[in-house]
Amino acid sequence: MTTEPRALFALDLGSATSSAALLGRVNGRWRLLAFEAAPAGTDLDGLLIGLATRVAGADPDLAAEIGLDPAAVGDLPQLVARSAELPGLAILATSERERAAIERLAATAGWRASGLSLELSEPVAMARLALGRGIAAIVLAAGESPALDPKSAVTSLAILGAAVAGRDPARPVVLAGLLRTEAGRFPTDTDGAPPPFGPAATAGEPPGAGLRRLLDAINPGSGDARHAIVRAITDLAAIIDRRVELVEIGLTGGIRAIAGPDGLEAPGAFVDAAALVPPGEPDDDLVDGVLAWSSIPLDRHRMRDRLRELRLTPWGEAHGAGAVVRYAAGRAALERLVDATPEIGELPAPDLIVVAGGAWAVAPGPAIALAVADVVRRPGASQLAWDHARLLGPIGMIDDQDERRALLADLAEDLLAPLGTVVTPAGLRAGKSAGRLVIHGETSSSEVDLVPGGLQLIDLPPGQLGIAEFRFRDQVDVGRRAKHARIEVGGGLGGLLVDMRDVPLRLPDRLDRRRALLSAWQAALWPGLDV
Amino acid sequence: MSEVAGVPGSVPSRPLVVPAPTTWFELAPGDRILVGAGEPVTAGLGLAERRRDPRLEVGPPTVPDEGDAASGLAPGDWWAGDGHESGAMLRRRRPRTSAGEVLMAEAGRWQVIGGEHSEMLEAPAAGIVREVIAGRGIGISLAGYGIPGAFAAGGPTRGRLELVPGEAGLRGSLDVGRSGSILVVGGRLDLETISRARAMGVRGIVVPGLAGKDLRDLVASEARQRASLQAIAPFAVLVLDGTFRRPIPTPLVRLFESLEGREVGIVSDPPLLVVDPPLEPPALVADWIRIRHGELAGREGRWRGVAGRRRFLAGVHLEAGTVELDDGALVVLPLADLERFS
Repeated sequence: MTTEPRALFALDLGSATSSAALLGRVNGRWRLLAFEAAPAGTDLDGLLIGLATRVAGADPDLAAEIGLDPAAVGDLPQLVARSAELPGLAILATSERERAAIERLAATAGWRASGLSLELSEPVAMARLALGRGIAAIVLAAGESPALDPKSAVTSLAILGAAVAGRDPARPVVLAGLLRTEAGRFPTDTDGAPPPFGPAATAGEPPGAGLRRLLDAINPGSGDARHAIVRAITDLAAIIDRRVELVEIGLTGGIRAIAGPDGLEAPGAFVDAAALVPPGEPDDDLVDGVLAWSSIPLDRHRMRDRLRELRLTPWGEAHGAGAVVRYAAGRAALERLVDATPEIGELPAPDLIVVAGGAWAVAPGPAIALAVADVVRRPGASQLAWDHARLLGPIGMIDDQDERRALLADLAEDLLAPLGTVVTPAGLRAGKSAGRLVIHGETSSSEVDLVPGGLQLIDLPPGQLGIAEFRFRDQVDVGRRAKHARIEVGGGLGGLLVDMRDVPLRLPDRLDRRRALLSAWQAALWPGLDV
Repeated sequence: MSEVAGVPGSVPSRPLVVPAPTTWFELAPGDRILVGAGEPVTAGLGLAERRRDPRLEVGPPTVPDEGDAASGLAPGDWWAGDGHESGAMLRRRRPRTSAGEVLMAEAGRWQVIGGEHSEMLEAPAAGIVREVIAGRGIGISLAGYGIPGAFAAGGPTRGRLELVPGEAGLRGSLDVGRSGSILVVGGRLDLETISRARAMGVRGIVVPGLAGKDLRDLVASEARQRASLQAIAPFAVLVLDGTFRRPIPTPLVRLFESLEGREVGIVSDPPLLVVDPPLEPPALVADWIRIRHGELAGREGRWRGVAGRRRFLAGVHLEAGTVELDDGALVVLPLADLERFS
């Protein structure tokens, strides 16, 4: 932003949801004035006019102060973040070992990766994969050991790769491992430079770090909303001087990142498999994964049809049974995201977990908190907040870091909807009682018994702070091993959740018992869930 | 085409027809492309020969004699063959090589993707070739119109459009008289009916809903037939709405009625029923609305105004609108569960 506007729109245009927020400069600070989310493809001008009209109707003086005219919304500056399907990456490898290693690496690097190796595939099939229409880049990979990747295999792959690469010079080719020794076979770019090459996916510390940097450098989506959200979260962590984790589930992918005051603690993970409903025919694993989180009985075929419909029209039947299926699909996607990012999961519990993405667009706040508590499980305590107005992406699109941080700091009170605090003690012994909890609120205190295996909800409204004083019968893990712990907790839509269920969560294998348990937990946190 | 008035832009809109759509026909390495970018094509014209059993074979030398047909070959080019395939005289000093797409050079010879069995990919409608990429596909801007669907399986195909009233109607009238036709069936079909239709020579089916199980079975059946290397006639299923059972929207029924007896085609990328010009789409009723999701899915009515943010089942709050159903009942439904044609 080079001028000094008094109002602007922040637009997050995703694959399923178009979200618009109206920001206004009030008393020298940027504030969130109104926001709305609608299915992608909705008339955007109508959405903006509707927002401006609402604000102007509710507070004409404010509208005048910030120069808001519903008839001239096109004149207001816009921060726009867009996201779409992740780009395709073809992996051609000498061995199954290297193929699998790069697929694992690419699975969290913002690519839809598919690979073949000379070990199991014919050159014709490999060429077909690499020439595919949805492929944005090609990785040709071998390991670093001539003993495991003989020269003949490396040469054969280089010959095939060079022929394929030469047919479409616009698509980047990356050479990994010993393939770099064959760089001379490949066409050079307009500056005469050979294709980029790097270490094998199994090399380096941590393994694959060098190749990940190369994949990031050629990713055509590096300027999209997903990367912008990670930038915004990194800035937020620096501003509030806390460790912040982001979990985002969208229609076409999921994001997980964790940042501290000094920056990202691990590379941000952009996970294709964590899409609410990944593209293509829903396979049995996907369907079973959603069924495992569903609180309503559906057979496989019906769930598969539901998921297909959800992919076709993500906003269709967002109520009733459709809302429950969508919620189950969101939890299953979150589970896939957590499974794909063990290196982030191994880090200590953050101070704040920010939930984002269109998967949660219609779920009530407390239910979102439950979904996170169900799946993102670490011993310790974390506050939960929700990017309800989808502002993180648009703010992250601001190039200038100072300007970005200034806007984030201004919006700190409006940016995130507080969902509450989750305290997850681990290592509890079975029994009637694990100890006592005293909540010291701003005006009063209350005491509850801690029951192992249960999920206890304590009302703590948004904006309230309290001290949760735990007195356990034995030593437990609350981020550190202790019998006595005092934890500062913040209120939210879901209040304080004391989650004494197993870490990781263990659910009954029988689906009917599982559904009953899920329903019981959901009923407590999803008011009006009457389906 | 008349514009829809009265229904706000926040109600999802669906085009009744798309003029001059661009369609993509996927090819694989080894397929022989028969058209070039910029060329006009007519319905039924061969676009490419698809290899059904592609395999790597040794081709001509990478450094051929001067003036040899193999001079200037590069990956992606078509090698016409060296022997009877090219019609040229057989040269004794060089082994005969089969025709195919040049994939790569290895050990002084080109490796070409050959094979014995191929099938013709025909243009389902007239248009102009916009993009040709060997091994990847052909993009064509159609001269006519496309009627969008939700997804399609198989194809491309073309045939005479015939309307069939429901699945029961189709079961009772499936005979060889339907051969060469594309059937529009109101209702949801199962795989058995689709297979029977195909066996009778039907070229395609347009249906409002197809269950995911039947779609999977259809795709698997298609793959089995291709693997058998027997000659198979083109066949496609175009699904207009999705996986659930819904009737065909009235504007589309009127459109299909106006097309009955005409040659149409089905393409899968994007999923469209394609029609050569001329086409006069039926006029749209300004406040017509259709319910696409929920318990009333498939019902139609008239738009009666925005109802604001309402609470629906499961305690979900959504922007809503009021619809007067065809039986006169007024219902308030989420905007995202509705659709209108444009």
